[in-house]
Amino acid sequence: MEIFDKKFKEIFCSQIVSIVGGLIAGTILAVYTNKLLLIPGMLILLPGFLEMRGNISGSLSARLTSGLFLGVVKPNKTKTKIVKGNILASFLLAIIVSFVLGVIAFSFIFIFFDIFAPKIILISLIAGILSNTIEIPLTLFFTFYLFSKGHDPNNIMGPFVTSTGDITSVVSLLIVMVLI
Amino acid sequence: MKTLRKHLEKLRAVKRRSYHPLIHKIRKRYKISKKTLLYVKEYGPHTNVPKTIVKECLKILLFASIISSFGGLALEHIKDIFIPIVPLILVLPALNDMIGDYGIIISSRFSTLLHTGKIRGRWYKNNDLKKLFAQIFIISILTAIITSSIALAISHASGFGFNARIAYKIFLISVIDIILLVNILFLVSIFAGLYYYKKNEDPDNFLIPLTTSIADFGNMLILAILVILLF
Repeated sequence: MEIFDKKFKEIFCSQIVSIVGGLIAGTILAVYTNKLLLIPGMLILLPGFLEMRGNISGSLSARLTSGLFLGVVKPNKTKTKIVKGNILASFLLAIIVSFVLGVIAFSFIFIFFDIFAPKIILISLIAGILSNTIEIPLTLFFTFYLFSKGHDPNNIMGPFVTSTGDITSVVSLLIVMVLI
Repeated sequence: MKTLRKHLEKLRAVKRRSYHPLIHKIRKRYKISKKTLLYVKEYGPHTNVPKTIVKECLKILLFASIISSFGGLALEHIKDIFIPIVPLILVLPALNDMIGDYGIIISSRFSTLLHTGKIRGRWYKNNDLKKLFAQIFIISILTAIITSSIALAISHASGFGFNARIAYKIFLISVIDIILLVNILFLVSIFAGLYYYKKNEDPDNFLIPLTTSIADFGNMLILAILVILLF
């Protein structure tokens, strides 16, 4: 049984990419702890918020990659019904999930900590829209770019999306906090 | 060619949710892959693409959000202990990503083993499964150590004063958290995978959302318990 084979190296390398993204996001969180983590409900919101980016953009990339391999989506044609539909669906999902995450965080801090902070819903919604405005085009561009360069986006986009998703999510939360 | 077109047109008209024997028929007759036929059925010219995607993804995304928020609730409860320990804040997103990724890798590879008929008889005696477990186990411990080391180095550079005892606890938390969750994810993938496979359903559709949700919730919960026990 050969444990240290090609698959071992592939998983290990993808995890290193994931770690880098996660640690950058963690550093931003640590630097701006006063602005972010001390807000009531932020720790309830954060895990779901970080996960959402990977879930939505990860599925977007996987769907587009399947389409590219099947020839249904053309790498030089991005303004087709199927690509536009995918982008629109990802945005809609991001808005709905961000809102729901905000509502859950608001309800939890109200029920368990007796704190009334409806602001968390607004923070979640605006930050969700902002981070997806960056993340979705980024996912789209890199999926097409990698495919056109002869790579399989399925092998690269997973860790890429979770890493960049972490960073854009934390930065968006920070921007919204400053704005609000 | 004319009959193929006729069959594909018929497939497009099939109700999105229902499995149609036509898929099996076309696949067998024209040697077209299952994935292509699924695409024809799901995203054909008469389909509302955004509506189809939102409808299929929303439930599982909302379920994952609720589970993650419960995990976050555990951390919110120990906020006062957790926030002053800078290396813990640093490792949190990285640990969350890693464990989610392991959930996806374990479930997708176990599903492939099931589909390719490599899991026969007693699963715990299967060499492919043993190899997968050994690989994930080694990688998870290595990545937990690397993450903790970098987090401690960044904390030290940013002026967070810590001693050997705190460093040891950070390593311990990351490694225990990863080991526990990798084992839980393996057991869940195996038992749930076998269950769905025996029910003639595709384990891929259930295992990934299930394991990522468990990974999210479990990570926050175990992290909160370890922080309470060690700090």
